Amino acid sequence: MHRIVVDAMGGDLAPDEIVQGAAEASLQLAGAEIILVGDAAVLGRILPRMRHDGARVRVHHAPALIEMDEKPAEALAAKPEASIAVAVDLVARGEGDAVVSAGNTGASVLACARRWKLLAGIKRAALAAVFPTELRRGEKDDPFSLILDVGATVEVTAEDLVGFAVMGSAYAKLVSQNRRPRVALLSNGTEPGKGPPEIVAAHAALVETTELNFIGNVEGLDIPRGVADVIVTGGFTGNVVLKMLEGVSETVVRLARYAHKERLAWRLGLVALSSAIDQLKQLTDWQQYGGAPLLGFEYPFIKAHGRSNARAITNALKVAQKALAGNLTGNIARTMAELAERT
Amino acid sequence: MKRSLFDRISSLPGRVGEKIGLFDHVPEGLAPGAPPPRHTFRWDLDKTYLRTEFDSFTDLAKSAFETAADKQAYPGATALLRALRQDGHRICIVSGSPTQMRQVLAAKLALDGVTHDEFVLKNNLKNILRGRFRAMRAQIPYKLPAMLRSRIGAAAPHETLFGDDAEADAIIYCLYADVVAGRVSIDHLERVLIASRAYDDDAGMILDLARRVPKAEAVGRMFIHLDRKSPPIGFRRFGPRLVPVYNYYQAALVLYEDKVLSARQVIFVALEMLDSGQYELGHLATSVQDVIRRGRIKRETALQLAAETQDAAQSGALSGRTDLPPFEQIAAAFRERVRELGGVADVTWDDDPLDYVRLVDEEHEHRRTRRKQGMG
Repeated sequence: MHRIVVDAMGGDLAPDEIVQGAAEASLQLAGAEIILVGDAAVLGRILPRMRHDGARVRVHHAPALIEMDEKPAEALAAKPEASIAVAVDLVARGEGDAVVSAGNTGASVLACARRWKLLAGIKRAALAAVFPTELRRGEKDDPFSLILDVGATVEVTAEDLVGFAVMGSAYAKLVSQNRRPRVALLSNGTEPGKGPPEIVAAHAALVETTELNFIGNVEGLDIPRGVADVIVTGGFTGNVVLKMLEGVSETVVRLARYAHKERLAWRLGLVALSSAIDQLKQLTDWQQYGGAPLLGFEYPFIKAHGRSNARAITNALKVAQKALAGNLTGNIARTMAELAERT
Repeated sequence: MKRSLFDRISSLPGRVGEKIGLFDHVPEGLAPGAPPPRHTFRWDLDKTYLRTEFDSFTDLAKSAFETAADKQAYPGATALLRALRQDGHRICIVSGSPTQMRQVLAAKLALDGVTHDEFVLKNNLKNILRGRFRAMRAQIPYKLPAMLRSRIGAAAPHETLFGDDAEADAIIYCLYADVVAGRVSIDHLERVLIASRAYDDDAGMILDLARRVPKAEAVGRMFIHLDRKSPPIGFRRFGPRLVPVYNYYQAALVLYEDKVLSARQVIFVALEMLDSGQYELGHLATSVQDVIRRGRIKRETALQLAAETQDAAQSGALSGRTDLPPFEQIAAAFRERVRELGGVADVTWDDDPLDYVRLVDEEHEHRRTRRKQGMG
């Protein structure tokens, strides 16, 4: 049985949507026990309103919570009994196997860094994110590629980037059922010598690996095309890229709204395209993906979107169970050990 | 006067009538001179004792052709029924399954080693032959008189009822409890029967039974097995006497608090659930936490059970169970689950009387909606 700990108080729609998502997951995930961490009185009032399996959802009381806009280090210091800290601690004490949270990202990363060990061979953890792409991948025909790191580690070495490549590849194999994910380094040119020294050195190390399907460097424009399944970069660049891609998406939506208002012909054009746009929206719906992992620690951590609703949380729990059932952390550790043995 | 199809078929030889499920098996009640039971346990079968799917026509057909060996009891239900079978206890089964299922259901109970004193099934063939199609779906006009008749035949000072969340069991059981306790007037009951679309002569018969039934505050506890995983909050209006349970370990815990079961008997229910392979120790510990959180047992009860179970285990209740961790470890895990809840305040209950006419109307509406949605 996999014990998945859920930070029930983290997220814009917490706790109601988080509890509802967990309740639904208790009916769908036969081999899992779900531990809701948060104010027991509040959770005890919400849970009986939902269809769930009372033998598979339990509550662990945590009297405090960290708001989305709080500074992580200060908040964790002031609230050692915050739901995210208690959730991570439960796993560290062997009372849970994985954590799912839609709460404050910084606090989540920091709580894990303080209580969990990094896997052997991994020097720094990486936060991954998914981005919709033109090309699809894996047995699930997944329309998302994985980008990591998007903010857990600001300064990286070539060794860190190799670790990120191993972790991203292991995750893509498991979640997208992609047997040999294409792994690429993000750079300012496809040539091996392009980019800062750590990218050039990482490229040199990755071309030597047989464990990974390394396809070389890709540029920013290759990300939405879906040329690679796993895009590896440092946390600073990854975060800038991710925010820019999100910004572009939002701008496109705003431009469509503008077009809708501006001219009748444009409006008619949008109406004609509406079913295609709906299909595209469904394909790229991040809620179906559930969340993205924080990789590198000895336990899986799935970071759900801050605006996650019940459906997204249920899917994040499914991802967590998949990570446990597929021994994600074990696979990463094994690949890292194989790499270390050869070098 | 012209004889009805039912009257004509009723004159068929007994064996043929039995085979096609034509006859009712009206409980005979106590033998002359027999002492009255101390405690009566009334059980539904489908979705309460037996895992039955009848949400679609295919499910119904499959269920009809299943043999006794194919039928599956819910984990823990058999151990609980056996534990309840004590001297002075009476086990009465009232099920909405058709009388044609009598042989296979009786064989299943015999296979499980469950003995019973009464076994009443619904005679839908009789309803069809009499052209009473409304009665085929009706639950209150069928179950309520069956239970009242049973109590008239053998009245116990204590009764415990077991049903499920698929039909109107919660309403029927509370109505029965209140009729037996003398809290429902004959006028109110008549209005409830009109709302439940009972035929006039059936309503007259039920009102007569309600007048005659021995009155007492007998029904102390009702369990609703959450087969459909209905949200438990929907049952709060029925008060603390009606307990929705996710599994029979939870029912055993409540019966332990009610002093109906011993710690040792609770262990047997738990072991049967573990042996089913559908539950692990963690699920049982979480089930304890769930009933405490919902205010259905006290924390002290769970802690007392842990201590008493430890004694029972030492006296051999767990002997030969090398598949389980040491009992101290199990008890510690259970205590930890209780502690995890922190200092949650006790649940409070309203004691407003139930408006059965409104409940029946709501239930009909709910059933109509489900039918429209294709959910049976």
